[in-house]
Amino acid sequence: MDLFTGGHVGCRGCGAAIAARQAMEALGPRTIIVIPASCMATIGGSGLRTAWRIPFYHSLFECAPAVASGIRAALEVQGIREVNVVSWAGDAGTADIGFQSLTGAAERNEDIIHVCYDNESYMNTGGQAGGTTPFGAWTSDTPSGKPTRQKDMLAIMAAHRPPYLATASIAYPKDFIDKLKRAKEIKGFRYIHVLAPCHRGWGIKEEETVEMARLAVECGLWELYEIRAGEKRLTVVPERKVPVQEYLRRQQRFRTLSEEDLAFFQAKAST
Amino acid sequence: MRQLLNGNEATAIAARLARVEVLASYPITPAAPAMEQIVRFISEGKLKAKFIRVESDHSALAAAVGAALAGARPLVVTNSQGLAYMSEVLYHASGLRLPIVMAVVNRGLAAPHTRFPDHGDAIAQEGSGWIQLFCENNQEVLDTLLQAYRLAEDERVRLPVMVHYESYIQSHTREVVEVPAPETVDKFLPLHRRPALDVDNPQAVNVVTGPDLYMDYKYRQDKALQDSQEVLCEVDTAYAELTGRSWGGTLGVYRLDGAEHIFVTMGSLASTCREVVDMLREDGLPVGLLKVRCFRPFPGEKVRSLLKGARTVTVLDKNIVYGSGGALAREVRASLYGPGPEGPFVYSYIAGLGGRDVTSEDVVRIYQMVEEKVKGNQEPLPYEWYGIE
Ligand SMILES: Cc1ncc(C[n+]2csc(CCOP(=O)(O)OP(=O)(O)O)c2C)c(N)n1
Ligand code: SF4
Ligand SMILES: [Mg+2]
Repeated sequence: MDLFTGGHVGCRGCGAAIAARQAMEALGPRTIIVIPASCMATIGGSGLRTAWRIPFYHSLFECAPAVASGIRAALEVQGIREVNVVSWAGDAGTADIGFQSLTGAAERNEDIIHVCYDNESYMNTGGQAGGTTPFGAWTSDTPSGKPTRQKDMLAIMAAHRPPYLATASIAYPKDFIDKLKRAKEIKGFRYIHVLAPCHRGWGIKEEETVEMARLAVECGLWELYEIRAGEKRLTVVPERKVPVQEYLRRQQRFRTLSEEDLAFFQAKAST
Repeated sequence: MRQLLNGNEATAIAARLARVEVLASYPITPAAPAMEQIVRFISEGKLKAKFIRVESDHSALAAAVGAALAGARPLVVTNSQGLAYMSEVLYHASGLRLPIVMAVVNRGLAAPHTRFPDHGDAIAQEGSGWIQLFCENNQEVLDTLLQAYRLAEDERVRLPVMVHYESYIQSHTREVVEVPAPETVDKFLPLHRRPALDVDNPQAVNVVTGPDLYMDYKYRQDKALQDSQEVLCEVDTAYAELTGRSWGGTLGVYRLDGAEHIFVTMGSLASTCREVVDMLREDGLPVGLLKVRCFRPFPGEKVRSLLKGARTVTVLDKNIVYGSGGALAREVRASLYGPGPEGPFVYSYIAGLGGRDVTSEDVVRIYQMVEEKVKGNQEPLPYEWYGIE
């Protein structure tokens, strides 16, 4: 059964919605999800209708991991077991305004799963730049391209030494689903960062969302791996390798990148 | 059992008696000792609860919201900067109709920085949809916290409650407190769970709401808040039956019989005023005291019926709403508007901000100033500051 059903009000080809549907395959019905202000918080229901078939709470922007901590505590005192408590946030709700509660929950090793679905901008408010927006990207508030580099959220979260940490991409659903299944079996704080392109923010066609998520991996800018007990393991080695411009030049948001900028990205890409 | 307790200790014992299940708090002076004492109870096995050692006040209330949504009984302890920082979450708690109880150790808001008592932190949240109860001594702190859970969890109410007591004056001053037996409290406070987030009964909470529904939710929320006055009176009566102590429900009245000049105040100043009333009554002066215990919802109708026959009303506010005056005086005046020209004049004084002591001599002095004005036929100013040179 679909637990995040059709009938949500996201855009066609929304990468975030694809990520949610894939994740629900792994998480299953005994899951409580907390989503702070973001596209995903709003597209799943309005008025008296909802596309969620699991308990869902649209929380305030800053605090999804804190709410999830409270839910876990409540379940524990009531002896309710085998429930996944998930905070599911966008890049702003994870890396920027949501970071305080995230780092707190990670440091306390709360028994929750935090998923960051990263579309590399603030889409729900019209596509402004944030901490994970790449260098050079055009957004509605970086009209000349973002002048600074994106923050390395994976390094930041790895520094918390959580029992489980992984990257994922909506173009590799099996990898994403397997990672969530593994995460489910582990107790403590688990962090999964899934690249979920947004055609509106990226300046691509709506049918190119998944393709773009694949190109990000194939060009080496988005590596798929997991870290368990400090051991890093690559989970997908793409069969095809492409230069970064095949990924970047397809996106309108990178239209002003210079050759020098491309070289910067190429140097950053894993080979 | 009688014990010597300060306000924070009374809070901790109330948490234990109420069998609080989730404590989510972030340290702030001088509320932290209450939190620490409860954590000690948990680690000694005297209270079966989970402590969430959050990284901020915002997260403290957010975690309590999560706990309440999942059906547990939470407690939050905070004040001043912490309460202001939680402001956004306060509205989620009330809008979602969550029975969260919060002990607020009232302290003035910076800037300039202070750690000392006044009600500014509480009044800044007067529109947050929480029930706000003010306590004058540590017995009332303990009793009110227990009453607060029963009130918050009542099906007709389902709203969060702040229990206010003042920093240092109450938090760090020991008084004799009668502590009820756990069995008595268990009888008074059975646990009713109503989880909104339940894997066996999935619901979506706080979805986007348009003009077709938003206002209806708000109407019901406000109605529940207004109706909680009656429930509070019931709860107070039920508590009195078990413990022999009543706090008057929404209001405490003292020597109002034949009183021509009535003081109105909240919190620790009520104790001071009660003493002054006795002193002035000794001299044959017809004075009385109306203590507002429940500031939100404001029991306007009762206040009006108790005050409308008075000649003079003097309101003492330990808060200032900048550019407007004292919040309590504003409520008192609003409730009196309408009884016609025979209604009393209301004199409003701002006093005791940021811990400036208001002694019984000060209250007598205010009484004398007001009486002078009455004699001189001077209409009240919107408000005056007491003790500013
Ligand atoms: C305290 C607060 N500040 C600002 C906002 C406005 N706001 C809502 S969603 C959002 C951006 C969300 O970005 P992200 O987390 O990346 O999710 P996305 O919408 O991109 O999926 C902003 C700025 C808010 N809801 N609350
Ligand atoms: S703007 Fe982007 S993230 Fe938001 S619903 Fe549309 S496609 Fe999805
Ligand atoms: Mg985003």
